[in-house]
Amino acid sequence: MLKINNLSAKIENKSILQDFKLEINPGEVHAIMGPNGSGKSTLSNILSGKKGYDVTGEVLFENNDLFSLETEERAHKGIFLAFQYPLEIPGVNTNVFLKTSLNAIKKARGEKELDAIQFLKLVKEKAKELKFDEEKLGRQLNVGFSGGEKKKNEILQMSILNPKLSILDETDSGLDIDALKTVADGVNALRKKNNSFLIITHYQRLLEYIKPDFVHVLMNGKIIKSGGPELALELEKKGYENIN
Amino acid sequence: MEEQLKIDFEKKLKDFSYSDQEKKFKETNFKEFLKNGFPNRKLENWKFSDLNQIIKNNIGELTFYNDYKKENQIDKIELISELEHNKIIIVDGKIEKIDFKFEDKDKIDVLVEQSEETIKENINSLINLNNAFSNKFCKIIIKKNYSLKKPLIIYHSTNKNTQSKNTNSRIDFKLEENACLRLIDIFKDNSEKNFLNIYYNFELDKSSILKNYKIDKAINNNVKYSYNNVKQEANSISETFILSSGSKFFKNEINCDLQGQHSSAFVNGIFDLDDENHHEIKSNINHLVENTKSYQLVKSVLEKKSKAVYQGKIFVSSEAQKTDGYQLSNAILLSENSEFNAKPELEIYADDVKCSHGSSSGSLDENSIFYLMSRGLNYKEAKKLLINGFLLDVIEKITDEEIKNLIKDLLGVKQ
Amino acid sequence: MRDKQIEDLKDYKYGFSTDIENFKAPKGLNEDVIKFISNIKKEPKWLLEWRLKAFERLKVLKEPDWQKPKYPKIDYQDLYYYSAPKSFKDKPKSLDELDPKLLETYQKLGIPLNEQKRLNGIAVDAVFDSVSVATTFKETLTKQGIIFCSISEAVQKHPELVKKYLGTVIPLTDHFFATLNSAVFTDGSFVYIPPGVRCPMELSTYFRINASDTGQFERTLIIADKGSYVSYLEGCTAPMRDENQLHAANVELIALDDAEIKYSTVQNWYPGDKDGKGGIYNFVTKRGLCKGKNSKISWTQVETGSAITWKYPSCILKGDNSIGEFYSIAITNNHQKADTGTKMIHLGKNTKSKIISKGISAGFSDMTYRGLVDISPKATNSNNFTQCDSLLMGNKCGAHTVPYIKNKNSDSNIAHEATTSKISEEQLHYCQQRGLNPEEAVGLIVNGFCKEVLQQLPMEFAVEAQKLVGISLEGSVG
Ligand SMILES: Nc1ncnc2c1ncn2[C@@H]1O[C@H](COP(=O)(O)OP(=O)(O)OP(=O)(O)O)[C@@H](O)[C@H]1O
Ligand SMILES: [Mg+2]
Repeated sequence: MLKINNLSAKIENKSILQDFKLEINPGEVHAIMGPNGSGKSTLSNILSGKKGYDVTGEVLFENNDLFSLETEERAHKGIFLAFQYPLEIPGVNTNVFLKTSLNAIKKARGEKELDAIQFLKLVKEKAKELKFDEEKLGRQLNVGFSGGEKKKNEILQMSILNPKLSILDETDSGLDIDALKTVADGVNALRKKNNSFLIITHYQRLLEYIKPDFVHVLMNGKIIKSGGPELALELEKKGYENIN
Repeated sequence: MEEQLKIDFEKKLKDFSYSDQEKKFKETNFKEFLKNGFPNRKLENWKFSDLNQIIKNNIGELTFYNDYKKENQIDKIELISELEHNKIIIVDGKIEKIDFKFEDKDKIDVLVEQSEETIKENINSLINLNNAFSNKFCKIIIKKNYSLKKPLIIYHSTNKNTQSKNTNSRIDFKLEENACLRLIDIFKDNSEKNFLNIYYNFELDKSSILKNYKIDKAINNNVKYSYNNVKQEANSISETFILSSGSKFFKNEINCDLQGQHSSAFVNGIFDLDDENHHEIKSNINHLVENTKSYQLVKSVLEKKSKAVYQGKIFVSSEAQKTDGYQLSNAILLSENSEFNAKPELEIYADDVKCSHGSSSGSLDENSIFYLMSRGLNYKEAKKLLINGFLLDVIEKITDEEIKNLIKDLLGVKQ
Repeated sequence: MRDKQIEDLKDYKYGFSTDIENFKAPKGLNEDVIKFISNIKKEPKWLLEWRLKAFERLKVLKEPDWQKPKYPKIDYQDLYYYSAPKSFKDKPKSLDELDPKLLETYQKLGIPLNEQKRLNGIAVDAVFDSVSVATTFKETLTKQGIIFCSISEAVQKHPELVKKYLGTVIPLTDHFFATLNSAVFTDGSFVYIPPGVRCPMELSTYFRINASDTGQFERTLIIADKGSYVSYLEGCTAPMRDENQLHAANVELIALDDAEIKYSTVQNWYPGDKDGKGGIYNFVTKRGLCKGKNSKISWTQVETGSAITWKYPSCILKGDNSIGEFYSIAITNNHQKADTGTKMIHLGKNTKSKIISKGISAGFSDMTYRGLVDISPKATNSNNFTQCDSLLMGNKCGAHTVPYIKNKNSDSNIAHEATTSKISEEQLHYCQQRGLNPEEAVGLIVNGFCKEVLQQLPMEFAVEAQKLVGISLEGSVG
């Protein structure tokens, strides 16, 4: 599904990723762990199409060259990024935003767009599943949301948009224990349908709820070690300094 | 007035042996002034302060001739004693004394000749008036990497018997790369009903720092105009602080051209006005290249029939991406006859900028007064405390500790 | 697919013109033309005299030049001051008698003139070039004593009201364009709401300039008598023409004790083409007088059209406790220019005003907010709040904020805030990551930016305005 070959990235001449390699197959869950500033968010930004990086190398998504696609075209093809710091967009109603987004993706895929009633039904259902307070959907997008609410809102969007590859950038940071479980439920529900995940996290706790197939350690712009779920446990015990 | 101007100008030309070039410069400026006269409210810049009218009402007819050959007495002028300093003393527009006794002599040049490159740009009619009637002006050059050890204080004074006179003074400053100057203007008026017109040019080379503190505290019946023209190269900083209080009328105009990257300008001011005083600050901050910054904060406390005007303009040219411009003015009107006018203006042609301004005016917050009184203060004390607090954050913007304390003392503001 | 859509949207939707034979006054501005207009409208003598007085005054007035947008000199002798569809020489008695072509025009504009389409409950007065062509819902309104008709009709049927209020808010001598309007105004709407009546529906006027070389000078007069309420909507379109057309309207609002007037405008006059050729000069004088105590006047405007817009809907807060509001969205793109804002003149005690202005400039356009807040010494305990935000898209355009603030009363407060910025890259990226293309993302974010103002519009208008906001900015993104 996703194939990253020798990806290097620089920002303002500062090298962040070097010869980064990773392959994700349909249905797989990969977790990336790494110290602060090691380049995890940079990786997810680049995959989602954020501008401002000098990149070399190759990224294929379902055999399409990712770099030739615009950000929204990647979204249309099924890439979803749950942002580490979800943006506030003043004045824009959360529901309106969700509907616009969903229908833009549906339209691009040649599917039928949802009307207001169908949409509301879908949102209600998903919000209930994720225990997301519906009242908040009537508010401006992320404005005045607590840190955890913003993260939950990202997961709600994910489950409504039903992406093939979801990248979760530290979605667990700032969530309380119950919320952590619901987020994991959301991921697991999608996972059943052969969708793939790239989960960026600092804590092995999330990985207890979402069992990853692979765990990678990112340091200095490279994956220095890969393994199964046990690697996360090892990391938690030893810390990054003593791994390897 | 035109008669008087012509007579006085002739007399002035006769007095001195100007070079042809100087003469031409003065004549051109004189003609320009004759054409335009004193600014009035029809000019956008003078909408809130009609100088023509203000001179008429407070002074009447002006004369323009000053005998620059005469030695003025300067020992009567009360100097600042709290602070060791270099000094320049100006009496009736004439520079009587330049004294850099605390500094290395070879680090400072003082040129008293009229310089060759006379400023060509036509700024306004008052600058024309200044150029036509000021004495030979001097240019002070601070050499590369030199920071003055002590501040320079310029005393602006008038002779006791000077009346209904227009006096003009001009000083040009050049701060070479990495130089640093702390300049304080202090107004010591010994006479009434004159119009003082002061014009400074500053060239700030790379990484130089200018701090200019203008203190108009002593109560007097003069009308004043001061124009600072500041041109800033890369990484230079200018800090201007204005305490506008004592004069009948005072308009301070600051023009800053931020023409080198990472240069920045700070303009802060306090209007502390009483009686029928009418003061104005007008700033033009021109962001002309990328990555420049400006910050302006002006606070007013207005008693009786006083009137304060703040016109602050931020201009951002289309090249000046990443500009950071901020401007805020707050006013407290303490009497039903006081008045605050503001025109905070943004003119912006670049899109990647962060510019904002704010302005508020109103009465002292009665709730706060009530709160303080419930804690045992009387009305007067409560008011004083709140006003001090209100003004304190402008004073805190002063980066020079010595001068900050001096100004705190002058205003009776304690922490 | 996407390109096609954008192309469709980009074209000015209302840019058709209708082939209707017009009956025009001779070109030029002189006493004869004024007499011609007055005569054809069978006006009483006092009104003709009033017009001529304005014309006398006009001779000594100069066109103002302080506003930022400059425009080529207008030759006032080369304009038609009166143009009416020929079939109107004898005004139709009912809609059925209307020229079918006209009805068709209004249908294209989406304005419901005929009965079937009146279901949405808005009473419409339509002004085509210079004359009012139809007023709907008349009977319903009449029952409540509400007068809603063309100003020409009001001059005939309610001369005492017109005479009493015309020119009381915008005096004859005010300024060049207002005075020009007083001399040559042709038609417009008249509204009178009797004491205590809450107008049961939105009243609406659609203006359209059709004939070429024609200036449109309509005049609107709205009087809300004691304790009454009315919400009034105004929409404008014009066909695409190469030459510039002048629109100089006057709008006067008068609110008596406890009355409220809400006036909303969606202005989408033809803005000229991409290179700045053609388009309407929209030089409009709008002023409201809160004459009585506890009265309220609220202006909401969405200005997206016109080559040059130059208007300052203002409030004179004369009655104690009166309230003035101004909500504005102004969007300029390509070579459009706008200089717009408001004046809040506080005269009465406890008067309040609020100004929310959102300006967006793109392309090579130039936008200025110019406003005055003046609290007079007598306006004790008054306050104003102003928020002016500007968005710039690209560095070929300009955004300027020029507020004049005068506080002469120590018991009154003025607070003013303004910001200028661009749409953040982060917000754009976020929206694009959720599948929106850049144009959609910008449309969404800009609509969010404008929300406070859009909220003020009546529902039907709000939807239209939201679309307009998006359309106006097409082609301005990277
Ligand atoms: N716009 C930028 N300009 C300069 N440096 C940047 C920029 N964005 C990121 N960096 C730097 O790149 C490095 C990697 O940042 P990144 O956000 O990818 O880290 P991270 O692994 O996600 O860290 P964290 O765990 O704290 O979220 C950091 O050193 C960061 O400071
Ligand atoms: Mg990160």
